[in-house]
Amino acid sequence: MGLLLDILSTAAMLFIVTAGLMIIFGVMKIVNFAHGAIITLGSYASLVVTQLGLSPWLALPLALAVGAAVGVGVERLIVRPLYKRPLDAILATWGLGIVIGQLITMAFGREVQFADAPVKGAVAFLGTDYSAYRLLLIPAALLVYGATLLLLNGTRFGVRTRAVIMNENLARGLGINAERIRFATFGLGAGLGALAGALITPLSSVDPNMGLTWLISAFMLVMVSGHSITALLLTCLVYGACQVLVSVLVSPILGGVTIAVLAALTLRLRPQGFAHD
Amino acid sequence: MKFPSRSFLTRLSLAALLSGAAGAQAAEPLRIGVPVGLSGANSVVAPGVVQASQLAADEINAAGGILGRRIELEIADDASGAVGAQKAYDTLVFQKKVDAVIAMETSAARNAALPIIARGKVPYLYTSFYEGRSCNRWMHVNGWVPEQQVAPVVDHFMKTRQAKTFFLIGSDYAFGRGMLKFTREYIEKQGGKVVGEEYLPIDGSDWTAVVSKVRSAQPDALISSTAGGSPNVSLAKQIQAAGLTMPYGNLAIDEGTAKTMGDTAAGMYLSSSYLTSIDTPQNRKFLDGLKAKFAGQAKTANEFSAAQYEGFFLYKAAVEKAGGTTDPAKVVQALSEVSVDGPRGPVRMDRQRHAALTMRLGQVQQDGSIRILQTFDQVDPGAQCPDLK
Repeated sequence: MGLLLDILSTAAMLFIVTAGLMIIFGVMKIVNFAHGAIITLGSYASLVVTQLGLSPWLALPLALAVGAAVGVGVERLIVRPLYKRPLDAILATWGLGIVIGQLITMAFGREVQFADAPVKGAVAFLGTDYSAYRLLLIPAALLVYGATLLLLNGTRFGVRTRAVIMNENLARGLGINAERIRFATFGLGAGLGALAGALITPLSSVDPNMGLTWLISAFMLVMVSGHSITALLLTCLVYGACQVLVSVLVSPILGGVTIAVLAALTLRLRPQGFAHD
Repeated sequence: MKFPSRSFLTRLSLAALLSGAAGAQAAEPLRIGVPVGLSGANSVVAPGVVQASQLAADEINAAGGILGRRIELEIADDASGAVGAQKAYDTLVFQKKVDAVIAMETSAARNAALPIIARGKVPYLYTSFYEGRSCNRWMHVNGWVPEQQVAPVVDHFMKTRQAKTFFLIGSDYAFGRGMLKFTREYIEKQGGKVVGEEYLPIDGSDWTAVVSKVRSAQPDALISSTAGGSPNVSLAKQIQAAGLTMPYGNLAIDEGTAKTMGDTAAGMYLSSSYLTSIDTPQNRKFLDGLKAKFAGQAKTANEFSAAQYEGFFLYKAAVEKAGGTTDPAKVVQALSEVSVDGPRGPVRMDRQRHAALTMRLGQVQQDGSIRILQTFDQVDPGAQCPDLK
């Protein structure tokens, strides 16, 4: 039972961390390598909330807002000129990640810091004592999934976004302002990234490099799942399960590379990923 | 840089001779190299170590220096690693021609430095704790080795908490593995049993699988030796979130980190040669000195800075004991004999270049302060360098 919960909560964590990256990749076809730094930003939002003595729950909207604000700023100033040059965009966002990390270091210092967790300790659940906060991550991930799905499939913004994803030239021809869609999408993706940072903070430490450890796994998962949010959810579940099983049955050290190895194998067998056209 | 001409130097030394011994000494300070990791992994602790060095130098200089010669610090950044250490030591030993090196560094930096130290024949005082058994004719160590740190925690768990089964958790690197290998041997020698030993890569922060294994192994006690900083913190958080309540000894936590962790660290045990709450006049003098010199900028004192501070007084005592010479061979010999009563208590590096140390077993309280549960006087480092003459 504990194993099942480990798998579900690990998958939830992976999905939360990856969703923002995928939204940006899906629409823009560029990989936002500043995603790790944006996750870090969200976790410092939790830290600020703690330092102000507010309720830890407030960290979530604050992180979302800060991430979205930074995202739209970055899109306008840095990413917009680079849409036609995806490789340069990788370099630019990677560099941006370093800059954000250094700014955080200058503002908050290099050392490991602490933010309050909204929920503490373990609860009895289906016959095992399990970490309450990890359990909470499962509905949180489903909520992020549901909200994103609704946004993309149930709103006019979603229709336009999907139109830009499918055929940008045609979408432009129909009078859809692709620039504005990208602007909004980048803000949304960055907002989700920062939200992810605030969500994983109670299980990790707050330091200027904390987001970086998630970046590689997130990148692999997005490459494999392409631009469908449902495919991403399933990929996180399957790969997360593999990671937990390898860690528990073989060794946590091998568990750490499971996702990278599986992703490489998958892309070898199906180079276009799961949800590419 | 333009070098002064030879005749100028000759005139200078003549002038020094004529002006008498006192003048010559005043003109020629003792240079002490302090290579530390101002950048890289050690950058969080290095500033405190530099402060402790400056405080020690100030105090020694105010009291007339060493043999009337002032101490001058040469601080160099070793970037916390081997490559940076090679550059730093080349500069210190061959260009700045330091009289001694007193250094708190990573093991990688130390290992890279030793050949340079041996070639330059410079007395070398290593002030960090480490995994043990690093031996060099020119090196002395005043930090702890596993033999000294692990025993207090394991003994306390077995005697006071009746623990029989232990679970060991570490980061996958030399220090983490080395510490836990020793811990396992020590537990087994004491009649305990290790029911699990798990590692995560050094930058890993997702302890899910390890925590599940602990849960199913149901050990009486946990002991961890992770890399400092974030792995340590994420492990503590995830252990606490999982509701695991067995006694937990952390071999890699320092007082400052415990303080910032607040109630996440509450109840955790740690073993250290130095805690700020040590109630001796020597420690109060050290802490007051830091506060007076650096005011609001003073870093929290820890094992590194206290050992670094003591290192300067050990060197001073050794030079004086060697008959007033800075001759490296004689100073190194004297370093094994002299004793200093510093913030950590009496320290004498007479056990095969290592020191017997007074260790403290502490427990983190709800407010993040550390209560000293037990003091272990003069714990022996064991046979570290039996082949060294």
